[in-house]
Amino acid sequence: MTDGAVAETIPEAPPAGDGQPILAIDGLLKHFGGIAAVNGAAFDVERNSVTALIGPNGAGKTTLFNVITGFYRAERGSVLFQDQQIVRRPPHVVARLGMVRTFQITKALAKMPVIDNMMLAAPAQPGERLYNLVLRPAATRAREREVRERAEELLEVFQLGKLADEYAGVLSGGQRKLLEFARALMTEPTMLLLDEPMAGINPTLGGRLLEHMQRLRSERGMTFLFIEHDMEVVMGHSDKVIVMAEGRVIAQGAPDEVRRDQRVIDAYLGGGAAIGSEPPR
Amino acid sequence: MTLPLGVTFEAFTDFGFWTSVGILAGTYVLFTLGLQLNVGYTGIVNFGQAGFMAIGAYAMGVLVVKADWSFWLALPTAVFIAIGFGLLVGLPSLRLRADYFAIATIAAAEIVRITALNLRDVTGGNQGLFGFDDSWNNLADQIESWLVSLGWSDPEQLFPLFLVVWVTALIATVLLNFATKSPWGRVLRAVREDEDAARALGKNTLAYKLQSLAIASTLGALAGFFVAINLNFLTPEAFLPAFTFIGYAVLVLGGLASYWGVAAGAIVMWTILEGTRFIDLPISAEREAAVRFMIVGLVLILLMAFRPQGMFGKKEEMVLGD
Repeated sequence: MTDGAVAETIPEAPPAGDGQPILAIDGLLKHFGGIAAVNGAAFDVERNSVTALIGPNGAGKTTLFNVITGFYRAERGSVLFQDQQIVRRPPHVVARLGMVRTFQITKALAKMPVIDNMMLAAPAQPGERLYNLVLRPAATRAREREVRERAEELLEVFQLGKLADEYAGVLSGGQRKLLEFARALMTEPTMLLLDEPMAGINPTLGGRLLEHMQRLRSERGMTFLFIEHDMEVVMGHSDKVIVMAEGRVIAQGAPDEVRRDQRVIDAYLGGGAAIGSEPPR
Repeated sequence: MTLPLGVTFEAFTDFGFWTSVGILAGTYVLFTLGLQLNVGYTGIVNFGQAGFMAIGAYAMGVLVVKADWSFWLALPTAVFIAIGFGLLVGLPSLRLRADYFAIATIAAAEIVRITALNLRDVTGGNQGLFGFDDSWNNLADQIESWLVSLGWSDPEQLFPLFLVVWVTALIATVLLNFATKSPWGRVLRAVREDEDAARALGKNTLAYKLQSLAIASTLGALAGFFVAINLNFLTPEAFLPAFTFIGYAVLVLGGLASYWGVAAGAIVMWTILEGTRFIDLPISAEREAAVRFMIVGLVLILLMAFRPQGMFGKKEEMVLGD
């Protein structure tokens, strides 16, 4: 099976579920003009967990992602990733430390072939330095072969294999989401931050993405933090749910606890039915 | 109103004509390859290429004439000075949005030109800077006698320059092709399309943009050397912003994101520009010069309308106009 082959190329995962936070954020502050988009958000993400980040529109979820991954500079606060302070580090440094994010509006590189999108993401390619094209051509070629093989395997997993040589611009919205997910995996991350990974994907492929996510978690000890609006997905596939509203964390806990939390119901639905009883479509 | 009266085609069979067109075209190939790398493959809009060319040319000229350096030592030094200048301009301004960067580069280029115009003690101002090309002339003589030994009884005087310009341009084209197809070039193309996507995947995009600019500066400096040698002297007039814009016209003509397109575009452009000299209109020479550029403009408009990707560009990778 193709998935098995993918797993083999990655080193053994650290012991799973030790309860230690891989990511700890505290007191983060980010204003746009006079508006506090992130207003003291604080939470931990356990290593080897799947954590959902939910909240009404404008709660600051995507801004928080941008602050954590260095795309926005926090005015205050702390972001500890694997016990290392990364607040205000530039995005490429954060990504190289093993925390990689995807985007709500996909950033598939439309003017590059699908396979190039994938191969771009691979780390440790000596040929990305100009002098190595002269000094280490053999190492560059060897790494390219390795990376291409892995990229092709991953594309198969997400049923994009046949599109490998097409420009990514021809992909549908859902396929772009899958490509972005697969591309993020090419970076060999320890933790993935996914911004609405399911939006626009057909249910079958969406299921495949979730399945793959769970597999990466159990087989490779990866950690996932994802923003999602589909409550069925949130309640069914996460170990912990963090609820944001107005730039703050208003509740967190197991899906069942959060679902019944009155603060959440008030903030999220403005009163009324419990969350998850009727998943929005 | 009478239309073209006498158009003579004699010039087109004249080897000397093609040699001088070839030198101009080859110089523009080098110049525009830098623009292609920046605009076509990195997505940074460099409007200051004439400035990098001026820095390279003047650094070489001043080192040889005023500081008595060897021509062959002055060349690489001038390249490094041009790179230094490119980084100096790029480091603060590449963090800006693309349009601000364009403005910053054109300003930098004008600063260079106007400084050259006014720093008369060093650059000779608009009187020009002479006497840097003795070593080149020796080499040209050697090439000429080599050509004679190959059996060419009376080689065209400018042919050695033509030869060196095109060998340099071809080497640069091949090297850039190789570099752009590499993993390094893949990162550049990612930066071109979406810098944030590249950063999210762990690429230090500023470093890549600076490298792209440094290479463009190098190519600009090389073009500057050949402009200087071709003119036999240096004058600020040779580095007007118009030079950069003709470079852009070559780029669009040949096609964005194609290095071979640059060569084709430069040849076509200079054939048109020089060939139209021979259109004999019953108007003053000044107006005729203007008409030549009108023809170039018309060609570009038609090209944009019917083949926006240029001669060799890929429609799927078009970076402008979408």
